[in-house]
Amino acid sequence: MRHWFALAAKSAWNRRLTLGLIVAAVALSVMLLLGVERARRDAREGFAQSVSGTDLIVGARTSPVQLMLYAVFRIGEATNNIRWDAYQAIARHPLVAWTIPISLGDSHRGFPVLGTSAAYFDHFRYGDSRPLALAAGKPFADVFDAVLGAEVAEQLGYRVGDRIVLSHGIGGIGLPEHADKPFTVSGILQRTGTPVDRTVHVSLEAIQAIHLDWQGGAPVPGFSIPAQFVRKFDLTPKEITAALVGLKSRAAVFKMQRYVDDYPGEPLLAVLPGVALDELWQVVGVAENTLLALSAMVVVVGLAGLVAVVLAGLNERRREIAVLRAVGASARGVFALLMTEGLFVTLLGCAAGVVLLLGLTLLVAPLAQSRYGITVQPRLLSLAELRLLGLVVLVGVAASVVPGYRAYRLSLADGLTPRL
Amino acid sequence: MIRVALALVFALAQPALAADKYRVGERLRQSTARPAAGASYQTIRWDALVPEGWDPARDLRGINLAMLNDGDRRATEALEKMKKAWDEAPIEPAWNGQRVRLPGFVVPLERVNEEVTEFLLVPYFGACIHVPPPPANQIIHVFPAKPVKNLRTMDAVWVIGVLDTTRSEALKGGNEAMGMAVAGYRMKAEQISPYKGPAR
Repeated sequence: MRHWFALAAKSAWNRRLTLGLIVAAVALSVMLLLGVERARRDAREGFAQSVSGTDLIVGARTSPVQLMLYAVFRIGEATNNIRWDAYQAIARHPLVAWTIPISLGDSHRGFPVLGTSAAYFDHFRYGDSRPLALAAGKPFADVFDAVLGAEVAEQLGYRVGDRIVLSHGIGGIGLPEHADKPFTVSGILQRTGTPVDRTVHVSLEAIQAIHLDWQGGAPVPGFSIPAQFVRKFDLTPKEITAALVGLKSRAAVFKMQRYVDDYPGEPLLAVLPGVALDELWQVVGVAENTLLALSAMVVVVGLAGLVAVVLAGLNERRREIAVLRAVGASARGVFALLMTEGLFVTLLGCAAGVVLLLGLTLLVAPLAQSRYGITVQPRLLSLAELRLLGLVVLVGVAASVVPGYRAYRLSLADGLTPRL
Repeated sequence: MIRVALALVFALAQPALAADKYRVGERLRQSTARPAAGASYQTIRWDALVPEGWDPARDLRGINLAMLNDGDRRATEALEKMKKAWDEAPIEPAWNGQRVRLPGFVVPLERVNEEVTEFLLVPYFGACIHVPPPPANQIIHVFPAKPVKNLRTMDAVWVIGVLDTTRSEALKGGNEAMGMAVAGYRMKAEQISPYKGPAR
């Protein structure tokens, strides 16, 4: 058997250019296939990671998926706010253990600003029910204190005590700034691998304070309330964007959901994060499967190329095979030779594909982290990925049967009397 | 080629639509077969979780609707009473510590790495999403012994585990006074398997 391997290797080395190209094609297709599978998994885990211990997300009436997307993942914008008294009524409900108010709409150099209360640092959970922890400093105490997510601090190089200016609205450059009321960084959170890392946290009072002298989305011209005087005004929020709600008993979640949905004051919506996530995956799942199917097709195309190359090569290898037969190789041996070649090209392609994927992951990881707060970790192959690879190898070997069988048929009569 | 690709896409997209198997409000059929000899659990019906003699519609039953005028106050009052009773549905403490097996639909609460670590089990499809929620004694808060993979909202499962009817510590506070006491079943699930077989 060993000399068959040696023969196959030597023969393949002779045709290294064409075979090398086909290995590259298989490698690229395998990278695509695994990349799609990995992106799917990472996105799902990243999303599932971002919310934990929260029983209900409450916001203005909209689609459950949209509410969850903007309240938890800061993707998209809120269609409407909820009034402060409605939030108070929910917070005081006897079934409710804690609530975290969320007020969105401002940003700092592209990072979303989230107005909240001290409850955020006490009750917010992520991953496996882990609480938030400060890497430096302390939670906000003063109106103009801000607590930064790990990514914000790292990218912009902020430290505790630095002064930052918030912008009105979410988006890129050219937003009106709240320059007259700068904030002081009071704390920096530890990295969580969730959208929290990309968020600037301030108090609800601060959100109210910076908009005191604003009217209709712009500062009132010629009128400004200096930062030291904002405390003279009522800084109780008028409205918030959404709220995270934790219940005393999780089994009561339906009852509370109905209470919120039927709240007489204004149209509200309460969603269970787990259910909304499933809804999201159901929508996204179709696109994911399409991508997976397409990349599977690409792999098939790559393997078809492999068969074509080996088949075409057979013609020029008539003599080689004939010589092998003449010195005593069996027809079955020739078949094995071709199969070995197919197997090794596929294996090599898979291995190269995995290496390419790891390289690409390293390249993309910082981008995914900073843009979407999703942690993409270069890690070893998962069981599902190994299964995919196994499938690719299996198809590759099965496809190699075609040239193998042809060589087997030809090697008997053909070759010694080539008609050129 | 394109047609093949499309066919493949639809074939792959099928599982995503599998939840449409059940109609809203549909319940799962329960086998009445006795458990195999040596089985340490009993297969129960959801009705068994309701204490005997609890009848939220008692007040409504006492009224002969045919004798009332349209828009009669007594009818409305009785209906309100029934709704309130429904909201405060009691549980059957006798189930505490019993190992049982019953089928239901999943509402996931907590996930770690795509695996469900906590969920609610409800008796009928669509509970909580499209139809009024089931009363407290028809919801089981399930803690799987080990996280469950591939579990999605409204998946139908069989659950085997030990029921717990003791109240959680957080609820022992003064909430009873406000008539909002939440009693409920909790379960440490030892085994969770997909429900197979026709819905009722």
